[in-house]
Order: sequence, then structure tokens, then C-alpha cells
Amino acid sequence: MASENNPALRLTNISKRFGDVVALEKLTFDVRQGGFFVLFGPSSVGKTTTLRAICGLETVDSGSIEIDGKDATLAPIRDRGVAMVFQSFALYPHLTLSENFAYPLREAGVSTNEIKKRVGETVEMLRLSHRLDNKPATLSGGEQQRVALGRALIRHPKILLLDEPLTNLDAKLRHDMRAELKRLHRQLGMTIVFATPDELEALSMGEDIAVMETGHVVQQGTPDELYERPRNLYVAAKIGSPHMNLLEAKAQPDNKGLDTPFGPLVVHHRDLPADEPLIMGIRPTDIKIAKNGEPHILTKVRLIEPLGDLTIVSFNAGGSHLRIVLSEADAIGIQPGQDLGVVIAPEYVHLFRKADGVAIANAA
Amino acid sequence: MRWVAAKNRAKEVDRAGWGRTIAAAVVSLIYFFPVLVIIITAFKKHTDALAVPAKLIPDAFDWLVPDYLTFSPTTENFVNVFSRSFSTGAAAQDTGFDLFFFNSIFIAGFSVLLALVIGTIAAFGFSRYPLKGNDTYLFVILTTRMLPAIVVIIPVMLMFRVTGLAGTYTGIILLYTAFNLPFTIWMMKSFFDELSRDVEDAARIDGSSDRRVFFKICMPQVVAGLAATAVFGLILTWNEFLFALLLTGVETRTVPVAMSQTIGGDIGVRWGLLAAIETLFLIPVILVTFFLQNQLLRGVTFGTVKR
Repeated sequence: MASENNPALRLTNISKRFGDVVALEKLTFDVRQGGFFVLFGPSSVGKTTTLRAICGLETVDSGSIEIDGKDATLAPIRDRGVAMVFQSFALYPHLTLSENFAYPLREAGVSTNEIKKRVGETVEMLRLSHRLDNKPATLSGGEQQRVALGRALIRHPKILLLDEPLTNLDAKLRHDMRAELKRLHRQLGMTIVFATPDELEALSMGEDIAVMETGHVVQQGTPDELYERPRNLYVAAKIGSPHMNLLEAKAQPDNKGLDTPFGPLVVHHRDLPADEPLIMGIRPTDIKIAKNGEPHILTKVRLIEPLGDLTIVSFNAGGSHLRIVLSEADAIGIQPGQDLGVVIAPEYVHLFRKADGVAIANAA
Repeated sequence: MRWVAAKNRAKEVDRAGWGRTIAAAVVSLIYFFPVLVIIITAFKKHTDALAVPAKLIPDAFDWLVPDYLTFSPTTENFVNVFSRSFSTGAAAQDTGFDLFFFNSIFIAGFSVLLALVIGTIAAFGFSRYPLKGNDTYLFVILTTRMLPAIVVIIPVMLMFRVTGLAGTYTGIILLYTAFNLPFTIWMMKSFFDELSRDVEDAARIDGSSDRRVFFKICMPQVVAGLAATAVFGLILTWNEFLFALLLTGVETRTVPVAMSQTIGGDIGVRWGLLAAIETLFLIPVILVTFFLQNQLLRGVTFGTVKR
């Protein structure tokens, strides 16, 4: 039985190769019951392969998959209680909408009356009541998406897998569907595993995010944890928009601060390795414009990108390119080519070892 | 919905313009002309059929064209197909053409169906469960169609003699099935290749076995391909002459063979009779093509346009 103590899904040391290509390498993560779990990473890091392994479309070479505390590594697909929405939606093109909805129930031997009832419920839940006799090809992308979602939800799966479900939608629809998915998750309370290459999607939707790099999980945590305490350069560079500014730096021998491309910088971190090249990271939101008379770093503005309420300003400091995010009001009057004094607060600096990218000190 | 379609079609005519539409009609007429001559000849008496210049207009139109270009239509050729006297003055005899037509339909229909069943399953295998050297196998399958029939006719005849298949339905049906298989496999494989694998995986997650995926998901999507393949196979088999001539017996003779054997006799080639047989022979193929035309169009253009 499902128990609150067991994770809904546990992958342990999963490895999978296709010929010479390593798709998954000792992949390990837990998903808690009823959680909204995000697998995040750029394309071809193995997100889709992971999902296919969970639902049983791929058999893994080694490692184990547990669903609800029971070993499901070799379980047949239909016994896993897992549904999936494909990036391409994968609707049955030769069946009408209601037949698409009914298909999983028919295959499970559900009675005709029950099928009718559940199709009705699903259609209502997704607000799709019209066009039930149409074929999928006549629907817009957003509608196809909802049908795909409905077909996955109709048999009340224990775990719902979503493989980049929003990638094929336009920006407006994507935004609506994000809200819709969260609403459905709250309403139905099932466990969701959501794969996406989009950090904004990952951060805004995931309660728990696993950042993937070439077949394994680099760091798993809440959006705040990943944002505030990235375990290495890879996570630091992937999470946050615009991306964290990364600069080469070196600890000063007397342990007072850092040598940076734009001069010495006092930091709070102590006991920094003095003989090793470091990478300093600072979020674009953590750099401020110097107030009058405040000691500052002198920079030259290169580019202004107004985004409405926010403005991204890129500038040159000691030969390095940095970006800061300013409110629209703060950005008024800033011109490309102009000199600008900025302040980096020591407590916001992240430090990584250059050699392997591992974080040695995160922002306070 | 029908009137919308008609309206759209009218719009298409508008877009192409009358000039192009008429040009297309003229070209079509040139292509269709030989068939038209055959159909007209089927309604001519022997003397009219031999006339030069050719009489192409029924005499109902003699107010429009000079007399020497018109003929008076007759249906006697069609009667003669099935029953006629073989020498002057003799009583009319059954020609056996009802059997030959049955043979043609039965043999072509059965072998195309058989090739479709076997070929579709084989094509699915080649598409979804590729072997090592899959392409080589596919190539080897096609090589059987690379030789002219005349090259393989002697070994095939010997095989038929030894196995006792000569002159039997089983023999000729098996042979035609073997002929149609390479083409069927290649065609159907390309249709299966075009299908989205995600859709099949979705069905597997929805609880379908591989067999149900094939029958419930894949097959319905390639109906157009089946229709196109069936029509092409049917036309090839329907018109086959050489093997039918040498490998069918009196009881299993097909129309093309029987047709050739009406040539000769006391008045030379009976063009009217020949044309009547050909006209009747055209009907089944035209009917099949007509009823499958929507599927056929989708079938032959499959994969050439983005879905």
C-alpha cells in the first residue's frame, strides 16, 4: 500500500547505454508522495530517457526503480500506474477526441458506462466540452495539449510524467498552461514528474528540482536552495535569469579578500585557498548602482535591454562583461558608453573552485 | 459540408484560371485517347472498325460531321465476348469468357490480398524491429523484381512442373503473391516509417500489448497506404500476361491470355471483339480505383507533404 513514508518514486543508481552512448549514469533521486518534481537540464542530458525508464518504455541496464515502495524495475508497463504526456502530445490521429480519452480505459477493460462518466469528468475538468467528435488534427496546439493531459489523467495514475509538455506551445499559452498544471496538481494531488529545459518553468513550477547533467543528477533541492546555494558552477550557471555573472578571481594571501579583474574586493569568506584559481559568482540582482560618494567599481555601460518593468544593463568592468538587473525607474537615464559606478556587496558573492567547479562558499 | 467542398473546388478553378484548366483538359484527353478509341471500337461493326480514316463519332451526330466519319453503334461485340459461332453458319457457342473473367478477378484479388497480409506484417517487422543488415535484406527482396520476367520464366516453369503447380490456381496465386511482395513490403515499410513512435509508446503506456498497438494504432493510420499498395498491385497482376500464358491451364486461364487467343481465325483480327473484351476488362480496375480514389490520393502523396 501507498505509505506516507515511502517516496512515490525512487530511482537508485540507474544506468542506461544505447550502444556506445551513455544516456544515464548512476542516476539517483526520490520523489515524495504528491510532489511536483522537476527534472531540469538542457536537451540531451537524459531527461526523456529517465521518464521512459520510469514508465517502462526503456529497460535500464542497472539500478532499481521503486514505485510506492515496491520494486518496479522490471514491472510491465501497464502495472506501473504511470501515465505520460509526450512533448509531441502523441494523440491517436485516427481517433476522435472522445475515443482518445476512452482508449486507456478501454485497454484496461473499464465498462462502457464508467468510460462515459469519466470522459465527461475529464472533459469538464479541462474545459474541452465542444469538439468531442473531431480528430486531433483539427485542434490547436493548446487544445491538443489538454487532450494529451486528459488522456493521461483519465485513468487516475499514481504518477504523471510530463516530458517538456509546454515546449511546443507559444509563449502566452505556455504561461496559461503552467497555471493550469499547478491547479490540476493541487486539485488531484497526484505525484508529478515534469521534465523541462526551461529554467523559468522549472523554478516557477517545481517544489523539488533535480538539475541533470549528462545522465546524472548534480543537485536536488527546492528552487530557493538551488538559487541560493548552487553546489557547483553548472547549477549556478543554469539556475537564475539572467544568469549569474561569473568571473575569474584569486584569494589574496592575507585572506582579506579577492583579486578580481576590476581590482581587489573585500569578501566575508574566510580560509580561502590562496594558491588556487577561483571563479567568483554574483547574481545580476545583487549588484547595485553606487550612491553618491560611496566607494564603487567604475564600469562602462555596453548595452541596455529594457524588459518592461525591469531593465538589464550590461557593462564592462576591468575587461569582464557583467550584467545587472535594475528596476525600470533606476535605469532611467543610463546610456550605452556612459561610466557607471557599481557596488558588489560582499555577502552576495559565491565562490567556486575553477578546477572542478565545486562551490566552496555560497552567498550568505 | 458537401456544398462547402464544391465551393472550394470552384474557388480552385478560379485560382488556376480557365486557360490552365483547358490546357490540362487537352493534355488529359491526349493521354486518355487510346482508351477512348478502344471503348469506341467496342461498339463498331467489323467493317466500321477497319475503316480509314477512323470513324470516331456515333451516327447520332451525323448532322454535325460528314457521314464517312460516323458509325452506327452496336452491342453485338459484347454478346460475342461470351457466346458466338466459331465458323460461318455454325451455332453460337459458349466462349468461356465468364470463367476467364472470374479467374482474373479471383487470382488477382486473392494474390494481392495475400501479398498485402504477408507484406504488411513483414514491413512492420522491417520498420520496427530492424535486423542487423536490415537494408541488405530489403535490397535482396527487391532484386527479384530487377530481372525481366523472360529471364526467370524457364526456372519458374521447371519448378511448377516438378511441384505440380502448373495450371493450378494455387500455383499462379502463389507466383503473383511472390511478385507483389517486394513492392508491398517497400511501400508499407515507408508508411510505417512515417508514423510517430511516440503515438505507439503512448498506447503502450495506456496498456496496449504490441499486438494491439499494431492492430489498433498502426494499421488504422496506414489505411491510405494499404489502398494505394493494393491498387498498384492489382493493376500489375491484373495485366500480367507472360506468366499467365505459360503457367495457367484451360480452367485457370486469365483474360489477357484468353484475349490474345481470339486473334486469328477466318476474318483476321476481330477488332470490335477485342475492343469489347478490353472495355469489359477495364471496368473492375476503374471501379476499384474510383472507390479508393480518396485513400489513393492520400496514399501516393504520403510523406511528401508535412503533416
